[in-house]
Amino acid sequence: MANDGVPGTANAGGTGSTSSPSGSGDMSVRELTELRELLFGGERRQLEELRRRLDTAEISSEELAEKLPQAIIHRAARDRQLAIALAPTVESAISESVRRNPREIATAIFPVLGPSIRKAIAETMAGLVNTINRAIDHSLSRRGIRWRLESWRTGVPFAQIVIRHALVYRVEQVFLVHAETGLLLAHVPEGTSRDADLISGMLTAIGDFVNDSFEPKQTGELRAFAAGDVTVLVEPGPQAYVAAVVRGTPPETLPLKLQTTVETIHLQWSNPLTSFDGECTPFATTAPLLEECIETVLATDQAARRKGLRQFAWAIPVVLIVAAVAWWWTRGARRWNEMLTRLETEPGIAVIRSERSGGKWRLTGMRDPLATNPAALMTAAGIDTTDVVAQWEPYVSTEPALILARARRVLAPPGGVTLTLTGDLLTAAGRAPAAWIVRAEGLAPALAGVASVDFSRVSPGLPAAMETPATEIEQAHVLFAPGADALDIPALAAITELATRWVRLTTAARTNRYDVTLQIVGRADPTGAESDNLALSRRRAVAVRDRLVVLGIPTRQLAVDATGSNDPLPAENPAERARLNRSASFAVLAQPSARAGGAERVR
Amino acid sequence: MIQKKVCMVGVYGTGKTSLVQRYVHSLFSAKYHSTVGVKIDRKAVQVGDTPVNLLLWDVEGHTDEQDIPASYLRGAHAVFYVADGTRRETFEQLFDLREHARAAAGDVPAIVALNKSDLKEKWLVSSADTSKLISGGFHVLTTSAKSGEGVEDAFRLLAIATLSPSVSPTTQPPVRHGN
Repeated sequence: MANDGVPGTANAGGTGSTSSPSGSGDMSVRELTELRELLFGGERRQLEELRRRLDTAEISSEELAEKLPQAIIHRAARDRQLAIALAPTVESAISESVRRNPREIATAIFPVLGPSIRKAIAETMAGLVNTINRAIDHSLSRRGIRWRLESWRTGVPFAQIVIRHALVYRVEQVFLVHAETGLLLAHVPEGTSRDADLISGMLTAIGDFVNDSFEPKQTGELRAFAAGDVTVLVEPGPQAYVAAVVRGTPPETLPLKLQTTVETIHLQWSNPLTSFDGECTPFATTAPLLEECIETVLATDQAARRKGLRQFAWAIPVVLIVAAVAWWWTRGARRWNEMLTRLETEPGIAVIRSERSGGKWRLTGMRDPLATNPAALMTAAGIDTTDVVAQWEPYVSTEPALILARARRVLAPPGGVTLTLTGDLLTAAGRAPAAWIVRAEGLAPALAGVASVDFSRVSPGLPAAMETPATEIEQAHVLFAPGADALDIPALAAITELATRWVRLTTAARTNRYDVTLQIVGRADPTGAESDNLALSRRRAVAVRDRLVVLGIPTRQLAVDATGSNDPLPAENPAERARLNRSASFAVLAQPSARAGGAERVR
Repeated sequence: MIQKKVCMVGVYGTGKTSLVQRYVHSLFSAKYHSTVGVKIDRKAVQVGDTPVNLLLWDVEGHTDEQDIPASYLRGAHAVFYVADGTRRETFEQLFDLREHARAAAGDVPAIVALNKSDLKEKWLVSSADTSKLISGGFHVLTTSAKSGEGVEDAFRLLAIATLSPSVSPTTQPPVRHGN
């Protein structure tokens, strides 16, 4: 500046002094220009540089790049105008990005999208289920009926009765209040309170009162106060606050909802709030936003869930009592049915009809005469047979059990014989008198239900119980001295033992329906004349018979026979044979008792 | 609908409560005074074609102006002072009250009702005093809660003052002033 000025000044002075008299007009303009250049040249160039920088875009962007982040931070801290201004651009940018490459955005928002969708679906489903539950609960439950009665009695609509009893909470009123003046900006639902302006003023005053009284500047502001079941929730904002009047217990989510509402109102009604001077008309349009906070939540689904199955606890004793009574009432019928089932399975009994009439059971059916007595079955099943009128038609049953029973009845097999039925083949096995075998073989094919018989496994003989004593008796001998018929000590002992065995045999014979006779056979050795021997042998037999009678054996069971020395008992040598035949031997005569037929000698 | 917040300030026993009881719409009972310290009433006024609701913050007055909570005065569009024309000390306290209100609410329109105008024989406030009030920035009326004299005028003047705050009520001729 100094260098520019000094020579310029000198130059100007020199030029001015020489040229001023001749062409003062031109010179003065030029001089002035030069003078201006000399005096203000530096400033002018600076000015042009500034203008150039202002007009040139590159420089502005550079400067802007420097300032922009700070500018955004400052403006965002002050209000939301920046967000409002940017919103359309950001929206267009996102739309354009999605249009060009949807994958990019989809990948970016994927982590939040899944949980959000799941949550939304879960909430929708829960809401649907609750609605259904509530509808069922209200229409069917005892409480629902009671409330309907109450509604009918008092004339109050059913819906109101439900709400009165089942309310968890209800947001009844929402106020939008100017924070500084306490003047009411908006109030929903419209027309619920004529004095909403007074209430909003008082709310503000109470807030101020708490602020002044308890210094909540450290603890925060008044957010809620409650009286009875009414709670007032206050959600403050810088220029206006929202107050919600809640009946019941407000949920934790409600303050958040109110906060969102306050924020939205501050954003969208920023200008009317800033310039507010008592004119509340611009805020009439906040009503839809405020009405979103009005809601009613009922407890019926919660209560139902809490009670769960417990609400049916009363039913348990009732069901038990009903079941007991029903069991008692049906006991007779059940016994009867059990007995019928038992009768149906009983061989030889066929039930055709069973009915209850006139307080008695009436039973019609068919019965094989050999079948079990139905009355006995009924008694065994606990049926009072005096309550039963039964009518049985006789018939011949071809059931195996009945065929066998009939065979036993007709054939009367002795104890050693068992009868079995295979299809229509009757098989007999065991030991029986030959006469019985002959007779039974003839009778059996005539039995109903028997087509053929197999008696090949029946051997002629005594029943087992008789066989042993009979064999023992028949193997016994009472020995005599040569030529003598007197009983010595061993002979008496042998006779006593024989008598014991005979008693055992007769007992078994009685059981097996046999008639038995003991035949005493007197014997003699071949020494001497045959006529003498025959007489001697008879005396020997009589001596034994008389002794048995003394021992108590009935005379009618005893028979005497004599063989002399004829038909001798066999032995290994002549001496032994002679000794063995100086004796009395025995034979058992057995025949089935009188009913079974004639006498039969089996040995 | 236009609403205005008006603070009613007055020393105890000046008849402020009587004014409120007889001429404005009350929802809350007087016990709010002893609990919260303020009770809010509404006075509907028609200014030309414009209905104006004055929300009256009736602050419980005491002998000491410090008792009036500043937060109740904050944001007020106007202040309604009540003094008792038969008790001179209530008139003298107005200036201190005015300072207190100014600190909290700013320089808003102010009106003074010199009450109990029906007791003229006991009147102790002179026209010189009234002039002093007017020159001190108050608009002054005499009122009677008993006869109703000047009450409606006072509220209507207040509403006009709040609607055109550029026009100071002090420059308007008083509707009527006592003595």
